[in-house]
Order: sequence, then structure tokens, then C-alpha cells
Amino acid sequence: MHTRKRWTVRRVQSTLNLIIFLLPTLLFVFVFIAFPILFSGYLSFTEYNYAMDVAPTFIGLRGYVDVLLHDGFLHTALKNQFFFAVPYFILTFLVSLGLAILVSELRHGMQLYQIVFYLPMIIPLSLVGITFAWILAPDLGVFNVILQRVGLGKWARDWYGDPDTALYALVAARSWKMIGFTFIILLSGIQSIPTSLREAARVDGAGFWGEIRHVVLPLLRPYLLISGIWIIINSIKVFDLPKVITQGGPGVSTLTLYLYSWKAAFERFDMGLASRVAYITAFIILFLSWLLNLLLKPEEAERF
Amino acid sequence: MRVFLRLRRWSHRTQAFLYVVVTAIAFLYLFPILWMFNTSIRPTQDIYKYPPTILPGAVTLENYTYVLTQMENFQRYFLNSVVVTLATVLIVLLASTMGGYAFGMREFPGKGLLFMGIVFVLTIPYIMYLIPIFMMEDRLGLLNNWLGLILPYVALNLPWGLLIMRGAFSTIPLEIRDAAIIDGCNEFQMWWKVLVPIARPAVAATTIITFVFAWQDFLFASTLMTDNLWQTLPVGIVWLRDELQTLVYGRIGAMLILSILPVFVPFLLLRDFFVKGLSEGMLKG
Repeated sequence: MHTRKRWTVRRVQSTLNLIIFLLPTLLFVFVFIAFPILFSGYLSFTEYNYAMDVAPTFIGLRGYVDVLLHDGFLHTALKNQFFFAVPYFILTFLVSLGLAILVSELRHGMQLYQIVFYLPMIIPLSLVGITFAWILAPDLGVFNVILQRVGLGKWARDWYGDPDTALYALVAARSWKMIGFTFIILLSGIQSIPTSLREAARVDGAGFWGEIRHVVLPLLRPYLLISGIWIIINSIKVFDLPKVITQGGPGVSTLTLYLYSWKAAFERFDMGLASRVAYITAFIILFLSWLLNLLLKPEEAERF
Repeated sequence: MRVFLRLRRWSHRTQAFLYVVVTAIAFLYLFPILWMFNTSIRPTQDIYKYPPTILPGAVTLENYTYVLTQMENFQRYFLNSVVVTLATVLIVLLASTMGGYAFGMREFPGKGLLFMGIVFVLTIPYIMYLIPIFMMEDRLGLLNNWLGLILPYVALNLPWGLLIMRGAFSTIPLEIRDAAIIDGCNEFQMWWKVLVPIARPAVAATTIITFVFAWQDFLFASTLMTDNLWQTLPVGIVWLRDELQTLVYGRIGAMLILSILPVFVPFLLLRDFFVKGLSEGMLKG
């Protein structure tokens, strides 16, 4: 009887400990993550202007139907996201893969070059924005100056002020920062490949490109997949740069989903619309990462 | 072995060529930062000279001394950034070592599902939390003060910390825990004195990752800190650029370089942990 009681006390104590260990995590996750997700989900089905002292009115799916079918700004934002994502993906993916392969071949000083290519990761995007806006400025911007020096002066322009180039100038800035991120993953992937495998390929007479194609790339696949997914997810989350550099302009040429939701919420205080756009954004991100998983991991997808 | 292999692959000449290529790319890649630095060490009339020149006509530290001594706004942003980031890192460390232990070494119903849910959070766009958090903080009077940024930063960085910490704790053999219990430790002493020291690499990884992310945030800081007094560096510098017509680019360059330094030094020291934590977290997440 005595031992049994002690066992129970210890068990209660142990459960209590577990709750204490989990408490900070659960508190933060519920208050600042789970509740906001649910609450903005609720708001997305309402008409709610935060500037007026009126409770949200429930409108069901009508808000979603309206925004998806009739909202020209949303359509523009979706179109902009697409034309942002494609060059962004190609640029980031290819450059970071190429850099990772090159740097992994260096015999000495690899550390130094790693730091160089990691560096943009620690620079806040808003400051990256200021930097690129300064470099690509119309008159005093060094990029246009260089173009003029090398005789391409007719290409010089106000890169962020021209609706034809503004979005792509944003791609350049965003990609510049993201490359450091994917470079890290890909380089650690290449370094995890056993040298014996690469040596075997070389003994078999594979040249450098053969070795890359037949040994490195196949073994790098999980890393390629992860960086691909992260680039795509990131290509949707575009806020800091257009907010700092273009404010979505000129016109609506750099309006993104994030920026549209933010402007709806904090310039017009239309929390219903803002939440709908946020939910649509989240849905697109989840759909894309699911799709990519399916496309790139066929052998695992078969099990579903 | 590795060195031998490398030696055989490339002749000295190709290696040298490789270095030239990579160095050229490195300079090209760093150009934006180098250019901002270049701007920050030039006298004002040199920056705005027409036609502009690439190399500085004269070198000066005047922009740095001006920013550090004359610009009270900048000093305030700096303080805000430091306080908010350090507090965030400390709370994330505490919460994630506690939670990481629970998820990595204890059994409880719903553990897998709960953890998956928390990791899933990593893919959800921040804009979804922003609106309710703004409304909540508005009601609670948390807008425009340090706590109003610290709390959401902790919540958003905690999933990364948990992912890393759970990984570290789940590789610690259970015998170590049992031995400590037999030695008369209670669970909290065992966690703090035995397990956390073993998980030191994960602590370092969580520290640097949280530091880097919290230091950079723009979305939350620009939305929740509407008053200039409470803004952090990434937001405040943009505010200064937009509000002060007289602000010259040399000053902006100096502020930019100065605001990267506090994160550059810990990043240099802890970068291996940063890389390892990030790539492990990403592959698992």
C-alpha cells in the first residue's frame, strides 16, 4: 500500500513537471500563433472596419467570392507574384547551386568564401532595399553610371520608377539576399557526400561534369528539394522590399499579396479583406509546397 | 585523403584559375555592401558630384561620428534593437530548452501531433498573425513598447528553437537522465545541470538563429511600433530616409554599416552553429 501511494505521488509530480516544462511553449504558441490563425480565419468571413467602433459582421463566403472574382487589386497582386517568382526561382536556384559547387572545389580558404556568400543573410531586407534603391537610382546610382561608362548608356533608367523594370529590380534585391540561404543548404549537402563515391566515379573515368551529374546532383536531391521549396515559399512572402522601395508602385506594378493585405489592414483598416488576402496567401504557399513535395519525391508520393 | 583527392583532380593552374573566378564573383556579389561602405566614407560633396565617380575623391569618418554623436534617433533605434533582440533570445532559449526536453525525452499523449503542428507553423506566412496580434496588442496597450515586439518575436522564433532543441535532446541517452535521477537530482536540476550543458551546441545554434532573425524583422516592427521612438534599426533607418529631406546618403551608409556590426560579430563567431542549426532544421521541417 505504501509503495503504491509513493508511486502515485511520483507520477503526479512527474506529470506536473511535464506541464511546467511545456508551459512556456504552449503559452506562446497558443496566444501568439494558434489564436491569431483562428481569429484571422474568423475575420476573413466578416466585414470589419477597425477604424469604426462596430463589431465584425459575418458574411460567410461572400467576401471570398468577391475578392477572388472581382477584386482587380488581388488579380494584379497574383499576376505580379507570378512574374516575380519565376525569375526569382531560376536566379536564386542556379546561382546558389553554381556557387556551392565552385566553393566546394576550393582547396584552401573555403571558410573565407563561405562567409562572403553567407553575409547578405544577416543584413535586414529593409536595408538591402535602401542599398539597392541607392545603387539603382536614376541619376546618381552607380549602376547607371557604370552602364554609361561601358557605352550602354541607352539602357540606363530609373529602375524602380519604371513599371517595366520595377518588379525585376525587386527580384534582383530579394534574390541577392536569398542566395546566401540556399547556398548554405546546398554547400552542406555537397559536403555530406562521401568522397569515396566521388572518387569511385573518377576512377570510372567520369569527367568533372560527369561526376557532378551522376554523383553529386542525385545525392544532393533532398537538399535541392528543400532549397527549392524554401525559395518558392519565400517568393510569395514579399513585403519589406516593395514597402521600402516602391510602395507597390509605380501604379500597381509591384503590388504583392503581402503588401496588399498589409495596405488593406493598416491603411484602410479593412481587417476582413486583409484577412481574406492573408488566408489566400497562406493557401497558395501550402498548395505549392505540397505540390513540390509530390513532384520531386515521386517514390515517396506513391505511398499516399 | 581529401587533400590527396583534391590535389589529383585539379592542376595548380586550374586551381589558381578557380580562385580568380571565385574571388571575382565574391567581389561582384559583395558589391552592394562594398558600395554602401564606399558611400559611407566619402564627404557629402563627393557623393553628390556630377558626373558621379566610382572611387572616393577623399576619405572621411565624418559620417560615422555624426551618426554616433549627433543623431539621437539612431541611438534610440540601436537601443531598441539591442533590448528587443536580447530579450527575445533569452526567452526563446529558456522556452525551447524546456520544451525541447519535453518533446525530446518525455512521453505524453498527442506529442507527435502537437510537435507537427508547431513545425507546420514555420510555413505559415507571418501576415496571418499580424492582424490579430495588432488588434490584441492595441487592446492590451502593448503597441509602442519593447514587450509588444518581444512577445511575438519569441512566438515566431520558438518553433525553430524547439526543432533544434528536440533534435539535440532526443540524441541524449536516457541512461544519463536515469543516472542523474539516481544521484538524487530532481527533474529540474537534472535538466538544468546535466542535460542543458550536453545540448550546448544546440543552445548556440538557437541563440544565433534567433538573434539573426529578430535583429532583421521589418514586418512586425513597422506595424506594431507606430511611434518612431520605439522603432528598431531596420524600421527606423527607413523612417529617417523618408522623413528627413536633408539626410545625405553618406549618413545612411554609415547607419547601415553600424547596424550590421552587432549581428556580424556573433555571426562570425557562431556561424558553424548557425549553418548546422539552419540546415538541420530545414531538412527536418
